[in-house]
Amino acid sequence: MSDSLSDDGSINQDDSQEDVMTPAELIAKLEEAWLNEKFSPELLENKSEVVECVMEQLTHMENNLQRVKKGDAKASVHRMEIDRIRFVLSSYLRSRLQKIEKFFPHVLEKEKSRGEGDPSLLSPEEFAFAKEYYANTETYLKAVALKRMPPNLQTVDLLKAVPEPCLDSFVFLRVKERQENILVEPETDDQREYVVDLEEGSQHLIRYRTIAPLVSSGAVQLI
Amino acid sequence: MFCEKAVELIRELHRMSDGQLPAFNEDGLRQVLQEMEALYEQNQSDVNEAKAAGRSELIPSIKLRHCCLLRNQRCITAYLYDRLLRIRALRWEYGSVLPANVRFHMNAEELQWFGQYKKSLACFMRSLGAGEGLDITQDMKPPKSLYIEVRCLKDHGEFEIDDGTVILLKKNSQHFLPRWKCEQLIRQGVLEHVVS
Amino acid sequence: MDPSEVEFLAEKEMVKIIPNFSLDKIYLIGGDLGPFNPGLPVEAPVWLALNFKQRQKCRIVPPEWMDVEKLEEMRDLERKEDTFTPAPSPYYMELSKLLLNHASDNIPKADEIRTLVKDIWDTRIAKLRLSADSFISQQEAHAKLDNLTLMEINTVRAFLLDSLNCMFKLRSNLRPGSSKGQSLDY
Repeated sequence: MSDSLSDDGSINQDDSQEDVMTPAELIAKLEEAWLNEKFSPELLENKSEVVECVMEQLTHMENNLQRVKKGDAKASVHRMEIDRIRFVLSSYLRSRLQKIEKFFPHVLEKEKSRGEGDPSLLSPEEFAFAKEYYANTETYLKAVALKRMPPNLQTVDLLKAVPEPCLDSFVFLRVKERQENILVEPETDDQREYVVDLEEGSQHLIRYRTIAPLVSSGAVQLI
Repeated sequence: MFCEKAVELIRELHRMSDGQLPAFNEDGLRQVLQEMEALYEQNQSDVNEAKAAGRSELIPSIKLRHCCLLRNQRCITAYLYDRLLRIRALRWEYGSVLPANVRFHMNAEELQWFGQYKKSLACFMRSLGAGEGLDITQDMKPPKSLYIEVRCLKDHGEFEIDDGTVILLKKNSQHFLPRWKCEQLIRQGVLEHVVS
Repeated sequence: MDPSEVEFLAEKEMVKIIPNFSLDKIYLIGGDLGPFNPGLPVEAPVWLALNFKQRQKCRIVPPEWMDVEKLEEMRDLERKEDTFTPAPSPYYMELSKLLLNHASDNIPKADEIRTLVKDIWDTRIAKLRLSADSFISQQEAHAKLDNLTLMEINTVRAFLLDSLNCMFKLRSNLRPGSSKGQSLDY
């Protein structure tokens, strides 16, 4: 096998940044993001850096494979791994795109009202897509029906018309970093609120709203 | 009764199973829009009358008509939007070229919406990974690196598998091949999956 | 989540294989594998182990828990306890299915193991149904689910979460002055 496949260089190696990540850690990050996105009712913060780095790794590996001579036993193993990673990556991006389409007015609103310096919800590509989706849909509704309606009914507030993500949905999660005093709100009027501690490694069923910040911070993993 | 026609549009979609796209009901839409026009005109004249002649007893009917107008608007928007979602799903199911019988059920504006959606999606996929591009409509299912037993249905000639081995696909010969390598040949009718 | 996706995650688990070929270390993106030497046990992810196995390039060493005596003990304990006992492996169901379907000749007493795993699964799913039922009827706001595997959670996920959401909507529509659901009808 050619040596080209043997360079197991870490990403950001030349950077003096603290968060130097090995390719293996990068893939783990992608898988975490994939499951979180799959199970969270709302769109999570974009991880375009992870996406870009993973794509770089895949391209790099594919280029190396082109140079490998036929019949190399390692090549098929690398191909299988590439297929697995590409599946997770595509599935992750699909989950996000589906939510962007499902909640487009809310996603755009959230992006608009984001404070300076806050991490952005959408990647630049997703933002462009969401804007086009909004314009396309609005144009369509106008052309087919709204402009044929009485003058005072020719607009629709898409923010009100398109359902919002339901943050009160329940989710399953596994705790990665111990958390104390998580306030659980009562389900009915005759119950009382109480607090729980989330032990590392334990698993829970709880409302998404209660633990949403912990998903963003990476303290819990949705499962 | 007011709004009956609008609700009928919604019912029409509701009756269809998930993912199916019935023909665009232009006639139904027009009837609802006509009802809206009539309601609106009546309201206009009642509003003028109420203002000019101080006939406040007209206000409840005005309010009622206005509610009906809003409901009609809401139902129409829901009808149109739900159709868009179905059309969107078709892009993921069939790819960027829709079968003629599906297109036949869409109106001109829907075709336009679909065209733009295709464009936005393609542009999004092209720009992924700093311009590398990634087709996310592929890889819908987890990959299976497993091998399957296949039988050759016609002579196909030499065929190279991933590790460089070349095999001869001769009619009635049986082979043990990586599934992903032979899926296309199975679709083309060259190979057949032998289920043991 | 599609069961095939849970299986996909299970395929990342490592198993021991005994190759009949030699190959240098492979530097995969997700980490290094090998080297592979004939007759020498080496760890590999299940997706690769099964591929080698199908091409008759290795023998798979069943995981330690995949053993009749151990599984019998676990089954008995699972039946005795009301709570969930620690599962044999976080992916015991999928791994049993994969290994028993594609490498049963490497697993001693494969049929008994198949039955035992099924018994354990059935016992646990029955418990899971009971606890899901009580979670809903008690209108609980939080449940601890230790020892449940992803595949087990996945079997109740859609039904349980949809029911809970439905109940939530019904309840919040009952509450006077609640803004939720209000915009739904006029």
